[in-house]
Amino acid sequence: MVSLIKARGLRMTAQKQETLLKLTVLSLAAILSFATRLFSVLRFESVIHEFDPYFNYRTTKYLAENGFYSFHNWFDDRVWYPLGRIIGGTIYPGLMITSATLYRLSWLLNITLNIRNICVFLAPLFSSLTTIITYLLTKELKDSASGLFAAAMIAIVPGYISRSVAGSYDNEGIAIFCMLFTYYMWIKAVKTGAISWATCSALAYFYMVSSWGGYVFLINLIPLHVLTLMVTGRFSHRIYIAYSILYCLGTILSMQISFVGFQPVQSSEHMLALGVFGLCQIHALVDYLRSKLSQKDFEILFRALLIVVITISCTVGGILTITGKISPWTGRFYSLLDPSYAKNHIPIIASVSEHQPTSWSSFYFDLQILVFLFPSGLYFCFSKLTDSNIFLILYGVTSLYFAGVMVRLMLVLAPVMCILGGIGASSLLVTYMKQVESGKVVDKKAKKFESNYVLRSEIATFFIIVMCVLFFSYTLHCTWVTAEAYSSPSIVLSARSPDGGRMIFDDFREAYYWLRMNTPENAKVMSWWDYGYQITAMANRTILVDNNTWNNTHISRVGQAMASSEEKAYEIMRELDVNYVLVIFGGLTGYSSDDINKFLWMVRIGGSTEKGKSITEWDYYNSGGEFRVDKDGSPILLNCLMYKMCYYRFGQVFTEGGKPSGYDRVRNMEIGNKDFELNTLEEAYTTEHWLVRIYKVKDLRNRGA
Amino acid sequence: MSRTRAGALICVLALCAYTLVHATDLVDPDLVVRNVERHIDLQSQLTKITTRVILDNNSKDRAIQRFLFCLDGAQRKSLSYIAAHVEPGKLELKVTPIKTAEVDKAFYSIELASHLAPRRTLTIEVETILTHELVPHPKQIAQQEKQLVKYTGNAYAYLPYAVTKQTTYVALPSRNIESYTKIKPVSQTGSAIAYGPFEKQPPFAYEELVVHFENNNKFLTVTKLERTIELSHWGNIAVEEHIDLLHTGALLKGSFSRYEYARESKSGQASIQSFDTILPAAASDIYYRDEIGNISTSHTRIKKDSVELNLRPRFPLFGGWKTRYTIGYSVPSYEYLFHSGDDYTLEMRLVDHIFDDMIVDEIILKIILPEGAHSIQLELPYPATRLTDSLHYTYLDVIGRPVVSVTGKNLVENHIQSFRLKYTFPRLLMLREPLLVVGALCLLFLLVIIYVRLDFSIDKDEISESKLRIAGQCEKILAAQDRRVTSYNELDDQLAYLKTNKDANAFLAAVKGINQEYKAATGALNEIAQKLKGESGDVYDRVQELQKCDRSLKELYNQQQALYVDKLVPGKIGRQQFVEAEAAIAKKKEDCVEKINAIVKSLQ
Repeated sequence: MVSLIKARGLRMTAQKQETLLKLTVLSLAAILSFATRLFSVLRFESVIHEFDPYFNYRTTKYLAENGFYSFHNWFDDRVWYPLGRIIGGTIYPGLMITSATLYRLSWLLNITLNIRNICVFLAPLFSSLTTIITYLLTKELKDSASGLFAAAMIAIVPGYISRSVAGSYDNEGIAIFCMLFTYYMWIKAVKTGAISWATCSALAYFYMVSSWGGYVFLINLIPLHVLTLMVTGRFSHRIYIAYSILYCLGTILSMQISFVGFQPVQSSEHMLALGVFGLCQIHALVDYLRSKLSQKDFEILFRALLIVVITISCTVGGILTITGKISPWTGRFYSLLDPSYAKNHIPIIASVSEHQPTSWSSFYFDLQILVFLFPSGLYFCFSKLTDSNIFLILYGVTSLYFAGVMVRLMLVLAPVMCILGGIGASSLLVTYMKQVESGKVVDKKAKKFESNYVLRSEIATFFIIVMCVLFFSYTLHCTWVTAEAYSSPSIVLSARSPDGGRMIFDDFREAYYWLRMNTPENAKVMSWWDYGYQITAMANRTILVDNNTWNNTHISRVGQAMASSEEKAYEIMRELDVNYVLVIFGGLTGYSSDDINKFLWMVRIGGSTEKGKSITEWDYYNSGGEFRVDKDGSPILLNCLMYKMCYYRFGQVFTEGGKPSGYDRVRNMEIGNKDFELNTLEEAYTTEHWLVRIYKVKDLRNRGA
Repeated sequence: MSRTRAGALICVLALCAYTLVHATDLVDPDLVVRNVERHIDLQSQLTKITTRVILDNNSKDRAIQRFLFCLDGAQRKSLSYIAAHVEPGKLELKVTPIKTAEVDKAFYSIELASHLAPRRTLTIEVETILTHELVPHPKQIAQQEKQLVKYTGNAYAYLPYAVTKQTTYVALPSRNIESYTKIKPVSQTGSAIAYGPFEKQPPFAYEELVVHFENNNKFLTVTKLERTIELSHWGNIAVEEHIDLLHTGALLKGSFSRYEYARESKSGQASIQSFDTILPAAASDIYYRDEIGNISTSHTRIKKDSVELNLRPRFPLFGGWKTRYTIGYSVPSYEYLFHSGDDYTLEMRLVDHIFDDMIVDEIILKIILPEGAHSIQLELPYPATRLTDSLHYTYLDVIGRPVVSVTGKNLVENHIQSFRLKYTFPRLLMLREPLLVVGALCLLFLLVIIYVRLDFSIDKDEISESKLRIAGQCEKILAAQDRRVTSYNELDDQLAYLKTNKDANAFLAAVKGINQEYKAATGALNEIAQKLKGESGDVYDRVQELQKCDRSLKELYNQQQALYVDKLVPGKIGRQQFVEAEAAIAKKKEDCVEKINAIVKSLQ
């Protein structure tokens, strides 16, 4: 017998159930996005990764210890010797201020967190926030189901994880959050046309500007959105209010960052925003006039206005460009538009691996099923166009283009891939999920039409199973990629030893700590610029060049020293007042990204300036046009400083069984110049696995000796 | 151990009594030093001198109270540790420094108490440990060279007494002796040199003794040690040590060659690759790191009574090279913390083992007590300077934890002794921290509740408000419906009971109450439905539908009741007929119930 059901008790209303479900999914996604980024902490330790994060860590420490004003006015004499660098005016301080604020706040509450730990865990924390903001943004663009999908996907998408694992303390870690946050506010502002939302989006934009140079993408995308809305005839007062406020407030605020300065009104990268702002005013004016004037009068006025405006803007623009008030198109921007530009013109930009064009495989590697869900998401956006959907489409398409140009911008693409993928997946599932149970609900009238579909419920079930399998594979793929590819701190290396155990190569820190403890406080260390940030942060010694490659000539000088013969290099090193020289050498362990493999870049950059004219890349290839370090190598290469420092006394070492002594395990050849002595340098320290070699520059010889 | 205190008192007394006289005036003429045997152990970086003295009391009637021990100016500066005991039985004797006007001599008074009776003989042993006395010579050596050091000392015992007979033995780490002062009689066997016996030497006899020999042992100094002991009454003591190390042997000359260091065993013999630190047996959660992260090269060996830690600095230490690291571990508090009531005593080592034959130039010990501890008393095993107390703030602290700081200089392994710290801590304070967390969470929840429950917007949203009102009314309707469902269930029970025992009167009495309850519920439902009428027609209709279904259900129950009371109980109906009639009612009831359930679901 069927009994009467009781309505209350533990049962919840459908609305409450939905809220609970949403909260659960969202908080699980947020927790997951934090947890999945902890591989490196669990495998190694809570340590800062790679190169740039070390600089950020050092500056954050400085900020936390000395307060904002001394940070803002900080002239760092430990870098770019003898030039120095005004740190406060040449960085985006958002990241440092964020962590220093968290640090101060926690200490205020007597939570004695170490500043290093805050830095290490900041990126995972912000990716949790990104998960939540992605949900809100997608909910605003489509619905909450898509929002949950997008949130779950962005929590583990490798393209974003690659820059936000624990320890990867870089601008991108918080910038993606800021970017999505600005978008969310922007969409809100576009939807409501409220001044408050537009102001909020300007503030969010300010935070974005303070944290990453990628804000340029944002300040071009939003005007593009407005422009598209104008062209498609969707321009309205709401958009007028939203954009005018965002542009005015945002520009003024962004100019408060000293590194940005007057760029928003001068450089060509920001001109689209300014132009669209002007166009907005004209459009509004035209709309106003049209409503007041007769058709004929209006047309005459319109034509006149158009001609005047175009002439004035062209003249002013031309004059400003000629007088140099509008900065010329910078190299990085050119390489966005034309991928081969940088390689041909600016070696220092081309030498960075993350500035290379993206390969097809890395799209799949970083996004997996999102690559396929992306078009379907786009389709669903197109099928129901709204003001905000147009934004999403623009964001998706432009970032796809830029990600194709530069590997690094994959990061900007990943969130929109997740949002569109979420929309696609959710819309597909909603369509099919309805059909699964339809067999049961018997409705006589509807049945007539439905008999056209064969095996309706079965096909729907099958489709849903396929989707589930795809999601599973996505999860597995993301976890695998995170664990294998993106969770290595690169400051500590690990390898499998022959007996199956794990070997740790901690040579970098060994060398840096040796420098810190056993060299004079004011010693100047010369190394290739890659290691500059690490040396200043870990060894606390003055360096000549670092990863902030702002002075090409100076880097070129170091490149010249490395590429010259010992005597010539000694002159350069005396000129630069160098005490120690540091090189990375992987020939013993097989560590392939060492200085010999980067050497051609040093030659190219060294030869790119007036002083280094004598250095040409072709001198370092042998007659067959190959870059070899063995007997067949070019004699100039075999006698240059870099070669000598890397291979000093290496000729006597047996590295592999069955191979002659001095066998380089990276280049897989026996070195060509084995027996030589250094006259102007002496080996100061070499780490256990020879990964880092430090040389001391000898003083000038006494007269007569 | 109240030795220090008594010592200090005697010192003060001595000072008062002899401010104007020389320390030598304390020399008792009846005390005869018959024999002195000195063992100078130079095998490590320390100078360990054991002086064995045989004393005669020549007086007839009184015991001699005091024996004066003396160090020359050079030794005085490098003295780290001094102790004395009676030879057979190892009975400890009090040693107190005497302040004198003489700058080049340091006197120590060894209290013999009543051990040296008249006309008797006593053997005592004085142990002194001196640091930084071995000077590398040459000062700089190349990587593959061995380390040679020079010891400069006194060939004789430096005592304020005439010594009848004495010998000096020097123990060295190896047979490789470059040179040594030849004061006859002298003999060398293997790694040992023996001087003497020398007959009848005057007081303060001095003749320079220089030994130049090979010593490749660890010349390692802790230039600064910061030891922090953080006490938790929840069962854990966390110990953290920041250690600054310096290789004080011969400096490295020229370049360091990794190739030779790895290949040739002789290369870098004076360098230090690793050392062992012994931690307490209960130590757990050990970490070994420095400013730039974890140092991955260390091994722990757990032994019966200790944990042995093999530490390898990031790089091998050559002469003049420094390093700095942090080591930390936890020990359970029950081994070190004792209490009766609210009075606690902490007994831990002031300095702990870092490596064998260690030298600690400076130590700062900080003991962090739990928040709220007061009446702090510190007892030290040997004189050390107590710094001003401070406060330390960490997790969940409000008023700060009291920190007791002590600093000491020039310590060696013999200083590994326990201090005793007494304090009072009301045990109820332990609950403060959990309560703080509970309170904070409660506050948070309360805020969330307030935020969710109250409406802070300044404009009225009619639609959502009416929605909320309807939802509230629906809740009430469902509650009333629940009451009805209960009464139906009770009725079912009563009917079943009636069916078996056929007691109609009792049944009717019970049903009366149930019906009343039912009527009340139905009335309430109607009332709410009326209120809803203006608000939402749709819900009102559904409620009306519900009421209709309910009426028919009630009617069915009435039929069933009539069937039972009027037909079954008096026996007016046949079995077959009854079963059929009951089945028919049950069928109708089922239909009704299904309809009601559907409506209820739609109302949720």
